[in-house]
Amino acid sequence: MQIPREAVLLRIFIGERDRHHGRPLYEAIVLKAREAGLAGATVLRGVLGYGRSSRIHTAKILRLSDDLPMVVEIVDSDARIRAFLPELDGMIDSGLVTLERAEVLRYGTDES
Amino acid sequence: MTWLWIALGSAIGGVGRYWASGLVAERVGAAFPWGTITVNVVGSFIIGFLATLTGPDGRLLVHPDARQFLMLGICGGFTTFSSFSLQTLTLLRDGEWLLAAANIALSVAACLAAVVLGHVAAAALNQLRGA
Repeated sequence: MQIPREAVLLRIFIGERDRHHGRPLYEAIVLKAREAGLAGATVLRGVLGYGRSSRIHTAKILRLSDDLPMVVEIVDSDARIRAFLPELDGMIDSGLVTLERAEVLRYGTDES
Repeated sequence: MTWLWIALGSAIGGVGRYWASGLVAERVGAAFPWGTITVNVVGSFIIGFLATLTGPDGRLLVHPDARQFLMLGICGGFTTFSSFSLQTLTLLRDGEWLLAAANIALSVAACLAAVVLGHVAAAALNQLRGA
């Protein structure tokens, strides 16, 4: 499988506590992306942040560390990412989703 | 439902403290609050260990409720600042200035050392390869 050089980076900002059918939302998104055959996905956990509610989530204060920021990043062609968006809509009820252009320089090893 | 986990953890930690500090006081004697120091040091080690192991750069990605159960609940219930304060006051009121000062110095130093040790132990686990 290959990604075109002109690709798109999909970023999904959610919380550690968000769930989808009982499993962590970040995990559900990655599994759904894999099921959809997208090129790859990466989950990052944040140390500090706030969102629409303006509530601060921080690893520094124990009481405020119970819903740390999670970011899911997915890179693939524009068409495939856009086809995935409706699936995503059904999973996320609160969160930030962004798209940006990405230039793919390398994807995995050259074999196959 | 997070509060329920905190309640359960606090109950376990509190009873654990009752048991552990009683055991230490019985074995070591009642002239100096060794029991309180012991639970505070053990709890400090555990919270330092858990925070680093399950933190944003930690190896374990656990559910927030599990973290709050262990850290706010069990560690919170197990350790006690109020007993430390009261026992220091009691020593002061008895005119045991030296023991009161020793209690303050030892508690702070030992708990901080324990939390650092817990952090270092978990950081070593985080760095382990292929585990």
